[in-house]
Amino acid sequence: MDILNQFGINPVLLAAQVVNFLILLFILKKFAYGPILKVLDERKKTIADSLKNAEEIEKKLALTEEEKEKILAKTSLEAQKILDNTKKEIEVMKEEGKHQAEAMAAQIIKKGKEEALAEMEKRQQEFMAGVAEIVAIAVEKVVGKVLTKKDKEELVAKSIRSLQ
Amino acid sequence: MEQEIVLKPEILGFFHSFPVTNTLFTSWIVMSVITIITIILAYSIKTIPGTLQSLFEIIIDTGYSTVEGLAESKSKVFFPFVMTFFFYILFSNLLGLFPGFGTITFKGAPLLRSMNSDLNMTLGLALFSAFMTHFFAIRYLGFVDYLKKWFTLNPIFLFVGILELIGEITKIVSLSFRLFGNIFAGEVVLSTVSSIFAFIVPLPFYFLEIIVGFVQAAVFMMLTLVFMVILSEKHGAEQHS
Repeated sequence: MDILNQFGINPVLLAAQVVNFLILLFILKKFAYGPILKVLDERKKTIADSLKNAEEIEKKLALTEEEKEKILAKTSLEAQKILDNTKKEIEVMKEEGKHQAEAMAAQIIKKGKEEALAEMEKRQQEFMAGVAEIVAIAVEKVVGKVLTKKDKEELVAKSIRSLQ
Repeated sequence: MEQEIVLKPEILGFFHSFPVTNTLFTSWIVMSVITIITIILAYSIKTIPGTLQSLFEIIIDTGYSTVEGLAESKSKVFFPFVMTFFFYILFSNLLGLFPGFGTITFKGAPLLRSMNSDLNMTLGLALFSAFMTHFFAIRYLGFVDYLKKWFTLNPIFLFVGILELIGEITKIVSLSFRLFGNIFAGEVVLSTVSSIFAFIVPLPFYFLEIIVGFVQAAVFMMLTLVFMVILSEKHGAEQHS
């Protein structure tokens, strides 16, 4: 094998190169390939997770937005209802107040009338008493005798009765 | 300065009876460079990568997806071998372009010489690549199926199988000589151009050599990968039926 000799092939050197390679293989596998591939894998996973999360968040956001809209619509509807109810109630209350006021006024009027009537009666009675007195005095004068108290009263009662 | 072109690596000295050539010495330097970078890398690995980590992530991720595309389920096993071929050859090729290579002499011989400009080194890699290829083939196919790849009773397929067996030897030759030839030629060109005019003129050739160094590393890696995948694949189905 002259050609091998020309190239200086030496089995020991071939073996040395193989050993070199094996050492490098071991070092690179342990310190470079393993850790880096692991990190790359982890990063891939993290990115995938993040993307998934982002999607979910977006979905949730959309859902929340929808719910918000719904709630807002519902709320405004309810508010409208409450407003309507209140208006109705106010109307009713107004009506009631009016009725009450009318009733009260009627009562007051009635009471006034009664009072006025009572007053008039009283006045009348007083007036009658006055008249009786006068009558008694006149009778005294005419009859010329002093009436006893009992006679007077009788007379007054009689005259009042005739007046009524 | 006239430099003679020698195919043989120069022997710097003997360690006991073990010859230490300048290319072997360079391979140790390459190894230590890779080891140092790797250890720095290993201790700085974080989820949020730094510059060094990003660079290696790009290379390793690209390499891994390439291996995965071809080897599929076996990629975890093939990847470290294939990637280490790439790194080893790439670093030694690029380191061979540094100043001092071929110019610093030790006992009359250049102290440093680009690793792959020595057939010993490339043949060592090619032999190991072939060995692992066949090892994986036996591991994934079983010994009997592995033998059936080459030897069948059908005379035509037997002939084809024997041709392919010779092809396996050619693979080793082609892998080792391609790498050796490219880098050795690059060395020769660079030293020749430098001896004509040492300033500026060699620059384009340096750029060329950087590309060649990368391409050869990638070629070696891809070929090893493809050989591994092809040989450990069960395509015996068409032969049986």
